[in-house]
Amino acid sequence: MSALVTKKEVELALVDRFGDIFERHERRAVEILPTGVAEIDDLLLGLPRGAITEIHGPASSGRISLMLSALATATAHEEICAVIDCDDTFDIASAAEAGVDFQRTLWVRCGHSLERAFKAVDLILHGGGFGFIALNLGNVPAQAVRRVISSWWFRFRRAIEDTPTALIVVTPVTAVRSCAALVLELKSERAVWPSTLSLVSENSNSSFTTDNRLSHGHLSLVPKVPLRNDHPAPAHAHFLATMQIVVNRERPVGLRSGTVKFLPRHSPACDIR
Amino acid sequence: MFACIYSRSLAEWRQKRADNSAETGSPLVDLAFTFSPLVEQKSADTVVLDVSGQDLLFGSPNGSSDQVASDTNIAQEIFRQSTVAGLKVNVAVAANVDVAIHAARLIEGVTVIPAGDEPLVIGALSIKQIDHSLAAIEEKRAAEIQETFALWGLRTFGDLARLPLAGVAERLGQEGVRLQKLAQGKSDRRLNLICPPVGFVQSLELEHAISEVEPLSFILSRLLNQLCANLNEYALATNELQLALQLQTKSMHERTLTLPVPMRNHRTLLRLLLFDIEREPPPAPIIAVAITAKPVEPRASQTGLFIPLAPEPEKLEITLARLVKLVGAENVGSPEMLDTHRPDAFRMNRFNLNHRGKRKQQSERNPRSNQQPAIGKRQSVMGFRMFRPAWLAEVKTSSGQPIYIAARAKSFGKLSGRIVRASGPWRGSGDWWRADVWARDEWDMAVIDPKSSEGEVLCRVYRDLTTEQWFVEGVYD
Repeated sequence: MSALVTKKEVELALVDRFGDIFERHERRAVEILPTGVAEIDDLLLGLPRGAITEIHGPASSGRISLMLSALATATAHEEICAVIDCDDTFDIASAAEAGVDFQRTLWVRCGHSLERAFKAVDLILHGGGFGFIALNLGNVPAQAVRRVISSWWFRFRRAIEDTPTALIVVTPVTAVRSCAALVLELKSERAVWPSTLSLVSENSNSSFTTDNRLSHGHLSLVPKVPLRNDHPAPAHAHFLATMQIVVNRERPVGLRSGTVKFLPRHSPACDIR
Repeated sequence: MFACIYSRSLAEWRQKRADNSAETGSPLVDLAFTFSPLVEQKSADTVVLDVSGQDLLFGSPNGSSDQVASDTNIAQEIFRQSTVAGLKVNVAVAANVDVAIHAARLIEGVTVIPAGDEPLVIGALSIKQIDHSLAAIEEKRAAEIQETFALWGLRTFGDLARLPLAGVAERLGQEGVRLQKLAQGKSDRRLNLICPPVGFVQSLELEHAISEVEPLSFILSRLLNQLCANLNEYALATNELQLALQLQTKSMHERTLTLPVPMRNHRTLLRLLLFDIEREPPPAPIIAVAITAKPVEPRASQTGLFIPLAPEPEKLEITLARLVKLVGAENVGSPEMLDTHRPDAFRMNRFNLNHRGKRKQQSERNPRSNQQPAIGKRQSVMGFRMFRPAWLAEVKTSSGQPIYIAARAKSFGKLSGRIVRASGPWRGSGDWWRADVWARDEWDMAVIDPKSSEGEVLCRVYRDLTTEQWFVEGVYD
């Protein structure tokens, strides 16, 4: 208490010389970019702009699904987006199925080089004008991600401040630490395997095979051969994911902490012709 | 005073081509503009220029104010420069434009006609050689008038000039009057000026060869500065820059920089050129530099309050150039799926914001191309991490079902464990008519590694039917 009083007295004594530098500036309202996942948007409204959002979790926990959904939503909002792909793992088919507009998406393949990936993000951030930037480190070993020096994250945080850009970082383990305004930790729960009736098509010879071993869930028809413009990814299993949301208290973005379950679903829009 | 330059060689060439249209970019025009900015191109072989006030440049050598001597010097200088340029020309200088034209066309060599002496000089010229277009008479009517002149016994300009004005007007009308004024050298008209040819080319020959980028950047900066100033003067921009570097080995190093949007900011162009040179440096020292800009209309963009943020085209180009320098041109761009069933078939296109407006029109024409148009109704799909290249795997099977997998990437990363659930196979094949035929059975597998704390890993595994090998294509994530 005495320390607070002393601080107040010092500020009052210096106010004539330094003006209002001790006054706290009013925090601006946080702008939000929806993710397109209803479960997350209901709770968080979306990803904060002008800040870093970290999405981390093990393999098959839904990190890329969440990233693709946010990317597709951003391009649908006519934002210019960039995907910095450290290990060249960006799948075009699933991105197209998610609804990503590639003409608004800049894809940078960094050839398995962390350094190039970070430099590319830095160039794009300082170039300005992008609404959504995704740094995909999902395939990088956890040890390498942990070894990333924190000055990179501070540099990104500084560059992105006061801009309408949302930067998300997909990692296997938490790495951004205090520089992230929002941390989403994803954990895979279990895979859901619907019984599958697959269409095996080889050139013009078509046949059907039935796999009834896994008979819980609904029956779905999955065309194996991509249709000319749709090119659905041959995803035959679904999975549940649990997400732990951690809000950075030092840089509050007006979001709530909590846990949410979401179910990335395969698009049911499959027709066989 | 007016000087007319008539090129006989160009006239012969024009007769062969049967082309009377005045062409821009003629060597005569270039020659004329070296003497005066006031130039009229009468035809492809005839140009007229106003040489008034050039006494100080081409006056008489002894400093006298003799107009005839001054005009003679100008005419001879024009003739000399034409000879140097390889043109066979006639040059005439007169106070009247049309007199100068007739004299240049009909009198060989250099002709100087002092003011007032026009009837004496052109009076002896054949009336058949009179240029009816100067009196705005059509060819058909001109032929009729020439027949009339022949019936009257007129043979020279002087014969027509001496006829009574009232009689000519009564018989030939205003056309006859205009022709008589031409013959008398008393026509009164102004030059129909043309703009100097605009060439957006800047070049420089160097005294010493340059082998480093930094000194070259100063040269490029100077040339681009002038080039952009010229573009700005004509309210133009450029979308293509051609850089030609002459090397010490007598060879040329040429680069073409194509821009997605018209620009005329010399700093932006300089950076882009330097990035390009650094990416593909010339193999030898440079002794001459030339930059050519393709002039186009500048871009017009309408901004609005509700238009989402987009990178500025100039900044975006610089960012893309830096990214290309960092990771290579083939690794930067916007992907495009190819219309094939081959897995992971795509093409990397240049990232260009100009397509943004076309997207909506395309989706309206082809509703299938926009798979999930409604943002609110969008459904999440399973993401996939594609391994490029696919990991070679060893798969143990039991009764045709895979039960164990062990795979390792070339660089780092591995996947091994018990297969707790599998779905498949889904067979696909294609391109059997090509050398790179593909055929494979795909499986979706849930793998649990007992040594890892991670749960199930959902992966897509395929068996290449051409090589009978298993590969892990990627992981659902």
